[in-house]
Amino acid sequence: MERKTIAFYWKIYRRIMIQDIKSKMSYRADFIISTFGMVATNIAGFISFWILFQNFPSVNGWGYYEMLFLYGFSLISITPVQCLFDNNWSLRINVYSGDFIKYCFRPINLFFYYQSEIFDVKGLGQLFFGIGTLIYAWYKLSLPVTLLAVCKTVVFLTTASLIMISMQNAAAATCFWIQNSFFVLDLAFRFKDYAKYPMTIFSPVFRFIFTFLIPIAFIAYYPSLVILRPGEVPLLSWLSPFIGCLFFWLSYKLWMFGAMNYSGTGS
Amino acid sequence: MEPVIKIRDLTKEFKVLNHREGLKGSMMDLFSRDYKTVRAVDHISMDVEEGEIVGYLGPNGAGKSTTIKMMTGVLQPSSGEILVGGTIPYKNRSRNAQGIGVVFGQRSQLWWALPLIESFRLLKDIYQIPDEKYNEMLELYQSLVNIKPLLHKPVRQMSLGQRTLSDILAAFLHDPKIVYLDEPTIGLDVSMKSKIRTLIQALNEKKHTTVILTTHDMGDVDALCRRIVIIDHGKLLYDDDISNLKTLFGSYRTLKIRTGGDLASKAREIEKMFPEFAVKDDEEWISVLVDEERAKVMKVLHELEETMTIKDMQLEEIATEDVIRKIYERK
Repeated sequence: MERKTIAFYWKIYRRIMIQDIKSKMSYRADFIISTFGMVATNIAGFISFWILFQNFPSVNGWGYYEMLFLYGFSLISITPVQCLFDNNWSLRINVYSGDFIKYCFRPINLFFYYQSEIFDVKGLGQLFFGIGTLIYAWYKLSLPVTLLAVCKTVVFLTTASLIMISMQNAAAATCFWIQNSFFVLDLAFRFKDYAKYPMTIFSPVFRFIFTFLIPIAFIAYYPSLVILRPGEVPLLSWLSPFIGCLFFWLSYKLWMFGAMNYSGTGS
Repeated sequence: MEPVIKIRDLTKEFKVLNHREGLKGSMMDLFSRDYKTVRAVDHISMDVEEGEIVGYLGPNGAGKSTTIKMMTGVLQPSSGEILVGGTIPYKNRSRNAQGIGVVFGQRSQLWWALPLIESFRLLKDIYQIPDEKYNEMLELYQSLVNIKPLLHKPVRQMSLGQRTLSDILAAFLHDPKIVYLDEPTIGLDVSMKSKIRTLIQALNEKKHTTVILTTHDMGDVDALCRRIVIIDHGKLLYDDDISNLKTLFGSYRTLKIRTGGDLASKAREIEKMFPEFAVKDDEEWISVLVDEERAKVMKVLHELEETMTIKDMQLEEIATEDVIRKIYERK
């Protein structure tokens, strides 16, 4: 049997994605309400952010537009995990009920096959909101618009997404070993709320935790420094793309290790 | 010819924590290292030839699923050998998966939100089925069961029967060497059951697909299987032709007669005539369970006819179900 290439997987993914979007659209009320909910969530998040800055002109030396940049950056970087890896949220239930076994009989990568099942369109709204915010902040900060700057942004956005995905994968994979892993996943997802603040506001202990143990500092802070404050970029920022790839690989391995040792329930 | 599935001394053991009783016991369990080993499958050996339909039977918890999981490569055996199509399933999960189809009675493997035809197209991509073979298969499906009305219906909207049917079609789509069917007719009505049995039989004949069928419905077994394998407590109890199964406990047939007069008193009379056979009576029939090794049914009938007027008679083979129950209960 020939080796399966990226083109092979892309073909399958595209087909599932198109069909999934189509079927979601067919539930019109559901689609409109959930899109509306997503927009409302984003606006509410932005309003609380705005109120904060009405009272404090800056956070630890970070101005309003810089913070806005960070905010937009974190919104974009959590989009992939929301759109592409949403099925991680159901993993616990699938594993517990024994339904997970049905994913084990296909001649394709198990992780891919499982995640490909759901494409969450709602996350896209957040993407547009994030891009808007980022461009606005960029303009207000009069950052240079060069090809290099755009490339850097794309690379570091990808990095940030990888970190976010890794955290969720690892958290979801815990369900292969513990019964009620929902709180682990929920916790991992809540940590992202801290990602939109500059790490310098936290005490050294938390800074250490958020950098090395629960690497949320890589979701927005370290990558943004490269664009925002090119003068004071720590080594960690430049390393973050590699750290992103490493974490993703590790989380994938953990997930697969759990899945391959899954034995299912009786039937 | 090499068998498609070759199993030698296959054993699977699980470590299970010895649970204590009560809340206090549960607390102690948290720190307990007191494990016991449970042998779910215990030194099973068998060969399955290409094109066979094997009924894999056993009471709940006998080890059927565990065996199937090892055949499909999901579980790694504790010891023993297993070869499916020449490869070791758990070592080559992907390759093994290419050559098998799996259906679990209640767990649909189709994409829930998609119309059936889209699921088929996805499977075509996943299994890399050539266009020609794919179209051929769809035509075959159309000729066996009318699938056209189902093709554009999302799986989620299907009835249980339609979904099971679709799942079976999906499992055969890539023309696998072996298909594992786990309770394919569970919860279905009589006509759907027979439709599905006919379909499985037809696909087995046309494609020479080997079918491993686990079921609790003896109707499935009688309709489809020539060979059955029975396990219980992980051990192989029986592996032979289904026709031999019926002679396992002697060759019994039930002779049912209806006579004039009071059935109960007639039954007593018959009991005296044939003390070696069990005689029962209800409002309609007197049933005599005849062991054919002792006396032929026709001879019994003949003797009865000389002493009483027989208005009506029926002859019943012992049901597979009765024999299987006897095997389960024998230990």
